[in-house]
Amino acid sequence: MTIIDRSAEPLTVYRRSWGDEEVFLTEMDRIFGHCWQFLAHDSEIPDPGDYVTRKMGRDRVIVARGEDGEIRVFLNTCRHRGVPLCRADEGNSSHYRCSYHGWTYTNTGELRGVTYQPDVYGKNFDKSKFSLFEPAQVDSVCGLIFATWDPEAPTLADYLGDAAWYLQAIVGKFDGGMEVAGTPVRNIVRANWKTEGENLSGDGYHTMITHATALELGLFATPKDLEKLSDVVNPRFTGRTVDCGNGHTVRAQRLPVEVEGRKFWGYPEDMWEQFERNLTPEQADLMSCLSVNHGSIFPNMSFIENFKTNVDGPDLHARYIRITIRYPISATHSEQVWFFLQPRNADPEWCRLSSLAYLRTNGPSGMFELDDTENFVGISEASVGDYARTKPVDYLGGLHHKLTPPEVGWPGRVVDGDRTEHTLRAFHRRWNELMKVDEAATPSIEV
Amino acid sequence: MTSMPVTATFASLEVHREMDLFLAQEAELADSRRYWEWAELVEDDFTYKVPVPRTPDSPFAPHYDDRVMFIDESKWSLENQWFKRLDPDIYELSWAENPPVRFRHFVTSIRVRTTTESDRYDVRSNVMLIGVRQSDMPKYITAERFDIIVRRPEGLRLASRWVVLDETLIDFPQLRILL
Repeated sequence: MTIIDRSAEPLTVYRRSWGDEEVFLTEMDRIFGHCWQFLAHDSEIPDPGDYVTRKMGRDRVIVARGEDGEIRVFLNTCRHRGVPLCRADEGNSSHYRCSYHGWTYTNTGELRGVTYQPDVYGKNFDKSKFSLFEPAQVDSVCGLIFATWDPEAPTLADYLGDAAWYLQAIVGKFDGGMEVAGTPVRNIVRANWKTEGENLSGDGYHTMITHATALELGLFATPKDLEKLSDVVNPRFTGRTVDCGNGHTVRAQRLPVEVEGRKFWGYPEDMWEQFERNLTPEQADLMSCLSVNHGSIFPNMSFIENFKTNVDGPDLHARYIRITIRYPISATHSEQVWFFLQPRNADPEWCRLSSLAYLRTNGPSGMFELDDTENFVGISEASVGDYARTKPVDYLGGLHHKLTPPEVGWPGRVVDGDRTEHTLRAFHRRWNELMKVDEAATPSIEV
Repeated sequence: MTSMPVTATFASLEVHREMDLFLAQEAELADSRRYWEWAELVEDDFTYKVPVPRTPDSPFAPHYDDRVMFIDESKWSLENQWFKRLDPDIYELSWAENPPVRFRHFVTSIRVRTTTESDRYDVRSNVMLIGVRQSDMPKYITAERFDIIVRRPEGLRLASRWVVLDETLIDFPQLRILL
């Protein structure tokens, strides 16, 4: 098979993509009907009976740990007449009992009880034909639980491909693993579900503008901060972006310093040895002197590990790890869910600082998020117009950037260059493939 | 939540009127974006926390999770990371606040209880915050506030604020909010 690498070719996407209901409904079928979607972290349901309620596309699902310890996903609807079985965001239950006619299911999905069965359905009613509806495949990687409705979809490992290596570098480097710290925040974003995802795919170009005040107020490392960490501070941040295939992408920006050995600033120094042990040398290089590492798992999940400075006073720096997903609601509305992850058994004072680093910058009320959201909402608002929707967005940034030398050892198509639209092209090319958009019929402008 | 020992005793009507005025003044300063004057009404070690709202699986469980916050701020962070955004030399790049969302507080059902310390009050109130972004229709968010307010020689001061939201899927024009 010949793989045509088109990452370095210009790409055009029409603005209807961010505000058209017909496009949206096609996405629900062609993308959310087939792709693996992130649901939960296994730390959220540690004990038998634990469940959380989540969504796959627009479908409500229950993510549950059965009495047998297995994790399963059920469509949150009674097989009988369609009433939701779980109404809470989270809980623990050995059975789910429908409030309408009382059909009762085990937390492994089997129909156990049918009210007045002999009277209503006769004695020979076969309950085994009425188990809860389940996705075709459920699997997890590094404790991150995913599911897909498509029985023909590749395995999760094949679906994630090279992206798993980068995910593992973030969530797989702690001896005790990670846990989601409490109930995720959820909010409505008045923007198309793709706007934040394409940004988090690897838009290193917007930082200095969108986040100008955050930089001004010291939340992003300045030369003054860096001079306290390293003797050699370079004038400019550098970064790489990665097209991992299947629409998954990563951006890694490094602090502009020269140091001996690896420095995992933002974590207590006594944790650093874990990272050297749990990561490959190439992954450890990726996480050393990290400014920010983020990316998107197609279609609607993003992850970020971020080094934030002066979060609770001068010189109080910390890294935090966050996962977000965006459930589609309509062409111009989405629901965002925020997972804040912490290493198990980490120093409580560092955990507090990491939590503040998250909340005050890229948490739901954080300064970075505040300014980002205004852009995302604006894109959807400005894309619904009947003229606007026919106009292109041309992804031309970073076309001339060079491939990273292979000896660096990072998987995927890795490019040297931080201010680029390399990953945005990868995201939208995958979208085009699934949506059956003929790129030849929508040529980009010549550059 | 608040670790202050609380007696069941309500403060006098006079103190209630005093607190009503104090909370109205505080809301007026926030709504009119006079943040630096607002900051003068809070103690140096002031904390402002909003736990994550949730729908629990029991009517007897709290509808929030205090293992994790939605907002967790101090006087230092409010001054240095919130209010400075409107400083003359950088406000033009504070995109989300330029133009600003218009906020309006409606504070009701103020209950003032005395505590074991004579100059500290446990003040609870219901709050509805309306937010209007640009030409959008208004959105509202409601909550119960748990404040500790202390009496200082220069007047009443807010020592801490803990806010329990009613809405679990938050739909508001901007999430950086002084409830």
